[in-house]
Amino acid sequence: MTTNRKQNVSVPFTTRPADQVVMTQVAEPDLIEKTDEVTDHDRPWIVLVWNDPINLMSYVSFVFQKLFGYSKEKADELMLDVHEKGRAVVSSGPRERAELDVFRLHEHGLWATMQQDS
Amino acid sequence: MRRKRNSGPVERIDTGLFVLNLTSDERSTLSGFVDQLEEVVSAPHDDPRVRRLFPTAYHDNPEHDAEYQGYMRDELSQSRRASIETVRQALMSDEPMTEAQLYSFMTVLNSLRLVLGTLLDVDEVDDLDLIPEDSPAYGQAQLYEYLGWLLEWTVSALAGE
Repeated sequence: MTTNRKQNVSVPFTTRPADQVVMTQVAEPDLIEKTDEVTDHDRPWIVLVWNDPINLMSYVSFVFQKLFGYSKEKADELMLDVHEKGRAVVSSGPRERAELDVFRLHEHGLWATMQQDS
Repeated sequence: MRRKRNSGPVERIDTGLFVLNLTSDERSTLSGFVDQLEEVVSAPHDDPRVRRLFPTAYHDNPEHDAEYQGYMRDELSQSRRASIETVRQALMSDEPMTEAQLYSFMTVLNSLRLVLGTLLDVDEVDDLDLIPEDSPAYGQAQLYEYLGWLLEWTVSALAGE
C-alpha cells in the first residue's frame, strides 16, 4: 500500500465532503487486499480485567462507565463477569490503543492485562 | 453492600460542587494516610505493598511487560502523585470540591484500600471482622472498612445516585 493511496482511506472520523466519497470507493480494493494477508501483527489485542477481592463492585462498574463510555447496564454486566467468571474482556483494538486502556485501568487501580486475540 | 447512613459523608450541592462532611479529625487522619501513600508509590518495584498499584500489563509475555513497564511505570507513578497532591490540597481546604477533585479523591481512596488490603491479605471471604482487637492488624482492618464506606459514598455522589 503506498502512502498516497493510504491517505485516501485514513481519517475515518472526519466528515467527508460529498464529492470526495468517490475517493473512498477507489481505495476499497486496498482494504480487501489487506485482509487477505492478515499477519500476526494485525490480530487485535484484547484488554482483560481480572477479579480482585479488594475492589468495590460499584467502583469497578463506575470506572468502566467513565473510561469506556459504557452504559450502566453494560458496565454492570462486565463488572459481574469479572466478579463471577474471574475476568472479562473490556476493550479490544490495536496494540497502542490496548496499552493506553491498560494504563488508564491501572491508574484506577484495576488489575488489567492485555494479550493478542487468538 | 454497605448500608448507607441518612446523611452521607459526600454530598453534591446545588452548584454542582461536592462537600465532604468529615470532621477535622477525619480530614487530618486521611491526610496522614495520603502522605503515607505517597511514600508507598515511590517504594522500590519489588516492595509487596505496590504490587496492586503497578500490576503486570502483559501477563503472558514477560519481555513485552518489561518493555511496557520501562516506559509506563514512571508515568503511572507521576499520575498517582498528581492525584495525591490534588487530594492533599482539597483535604486542607474548606472549599467544596470540584468533580475533578472528587474524582482524584476516589482514585486515591481506592489506592489506599489496595495497599491496606494487600497488607491485610484480603481475600474473597471477608474475615476482617474476626481480627481480634489486640491484633496489630485490627487498626488497619478498621481503616480498610472505613475507606470502603467512604469510597462507596464517593462513587454514588459522582455517579449522581
